[in-house]
Amino acid sequence: MSFRYTMIGAAACIFIFYLGLILSLFYFIGGKGFWEALAHPNTLFSIRLSLITATVATFFAVLVGLPSAYALSRFKFFGKEILDTFLEIPIIISPIALGAAFLVFFNTPLGELIQNKGIFFVFEVPGIILAQFATIAGLVTRLMKASLDEISPRYEAVARSLGSSPWQAFYRVTLPLSFRGLLASVILSWAKAFGEFGATVTLAGAMPGKTETMPVAIFTALASANIDKAIVLILILVAFGLFILYSVRLTGKRYRYD
Amino acid sequence: MIKIDGLTILFDSFKIVDLNIQIEEGGFHFLLGPTGSGKTLILESIMGLRKPKTGRIWIGDREVQGLPPELRGISYVPQDLALFPHLNVKGNIFFGIKARDLDIRIYEEYVHALVEVMRVEHLLERYPAHLSGGEKKQVALLRALAPKPKLLLLDEPFSGLDPSIKVDIQHLLKNLHASFHPTTLCVTHDFEEAYFLGDGMTIFIEGKVEQVGKRDDVFLKPKSKKVAQFLGAKNLYRAKILKNEESSQRLILGINGLQFSIPTNLYQDKMKVGKEVDLFIRPEEVMIIREGKPVKDSLKQNIFEGEILNITEKGRYHLIYFQTMEGKIPFEISIPNYAFRNLNLSVGKTVKVALRDESLWVMA
Repeated sequence: MSFRYTMIGAAACIFIFYLGLILSLFYFIGGKGFWEALAHPNTLFSIRLSLITATVATFFAVLVGLPSAYALSRFKFFGKEILDTFLEIPIIISPIALGAAFLVFFNTPLGELIQNKGIFFVFEVPGIILAQFATIAGLVTRLMKASLDEISPRYEAVARSLGSSPWQAFYRVTLPLSFRGLLASVILSWAKAFGEFGATVTLAGAMPGKTETMPVAIFTALASANIDKAIVLILILVAFGLFILYSVRLTGKRYRYD
Repeated sequence: MIKIDGLTILFDSFKIVDLNIQIEEGGFHFLLGPTGSGKTLILESIMGLRKPKTGRIWIGDREVQGLPPELRGISYVPQDLALFPHLNVKGNIFFGIKARDLDIRIYEEYVHALVEVMRVEHLLERYPAHLSGGEKKQVALLRALAPKPKLLLLDEPFSGLDPSIKVDIQHLLKNLHASFHPTTLCVTHDFEEAYFLGDGMTIFIEGKVEQVGKRDDVFLKPKSKKVAQFLGAKNLYRAKILKNEESSQRLILGINGLQFSIPTNLYQDKMKVGKEVDLFIRPEEVMIIREGKPVKDSLKQNIFEGEILNITEKGRYHLIYFQTMEGKIPFEISIPNYAFRNLNLSVGKTVKVALRDESLWVMA
């Protein structure tokens, strides 16, 4: 077999593998409890909870991540290498370990103080947001840094020489030039937060109608042998996922200026 | 007047020590040096993007060393131009005026004049991706000039252009400078560029200033062998001063037993007998003497017989590789094509050459 066909064949195998996996779900569609599960208030609650928490978590992650990404992309500073390595920790370690670490933290005096004087995280909705934030903050920083790296610092240098302050140069030049890349980073991070399970379930628990996000709901549905509900939720997740990946594709295109 | 005083930059492997440059108001000064000599670092330091080790910069009587780039009033055209791809040509040109919150109405007429001299009226609505290499340079120059900077910095402004377009852009820039007189500092490795556009130049080699002067002084009177070599000089020799003939005001130099007679009035440095110097023979000033033709008195000082070793056609001129009989000194002679045909030269032929006083230059 030729080199070319071997390589393309491998790609086709991966495609068929995932497609088969998704198509197999349709085997159970229309079962007795299927429509019931879809219309159940807890299902709708999970969808809404996931949308809200993922969006809030992404907002905070970008709020911190964008300046951090800029710093990593443009400046030399003490501890840069270490910081860069730390960003990978949530990507490397198991989400359940991350969630467990939070539980431990909230049992330290500082953690208790935060919970007593401020916001309750353990087994509460803010816990979901915190878990999702922890999972994606490093990722979104990494992805946005890659987008900013593509924009030559020379543009900012010229903008500065023409009278722009560093803030203006960022806002008028670097931001519009990297906008599509940054947007794609945000969307991907949002999707990652949306599908987060391990850290969420460990820190916020799995209380239906309270802290049960979609991935958590799938787990509890399976655990209680409610296959119909699990499939409904999985299909919704897949639909969201495909929509998101497609929109990332759209933002990625027409990106080249010259 | 722009004054750069004692600029020292240490960065990675670059070491630039005690650079001094002065540019008159409205002057066009060139910083000339080989590629990779850290010229961009110097521009970035002047602009304020990089903190030099030491050095002070004055624009008029205002010292700008402590100011951030946006407050220095220095425009910069980098080698890669960095036109803003998300703005059209007009947006690019007006960027500095808007960034400085200047009154657009006041500047509109001036920008219009710039656009006219640079001949880019038809490009104003285009985006940089749809401009040719030459057009991009034109727009980048206008963008830099539009907010009326007190100093314009150009980094290799003609690199990467086709030769014919390069000449066009050089003429446009010359017109632009003649019309608006922006005080300009330009770095390049190309002497011809500097000679065509500049009034003053600083030759900068291996992190040090080798020579500062008006363009003709530098070209005709290089101070050191390094400068001469950088300017593309061929025919450089180590010679010894044998005699100082005070009556005729000439020095006699010896290379390998061959004697050259040089007028003393050209040199300010003390030329002591016995001293070793660098002799430079300009290839384009050497005359090949036609057989049987009488030689003018002014040429009689340095006439040598020798053999033609090789001939290379260079398109616009011919390069003759000549070697003297006595002393076996090889040198290159460049002659115009018509002269080459008239002289009927060929490899192996024995000819006489005359070195005019203009063809000789001595560096201590």
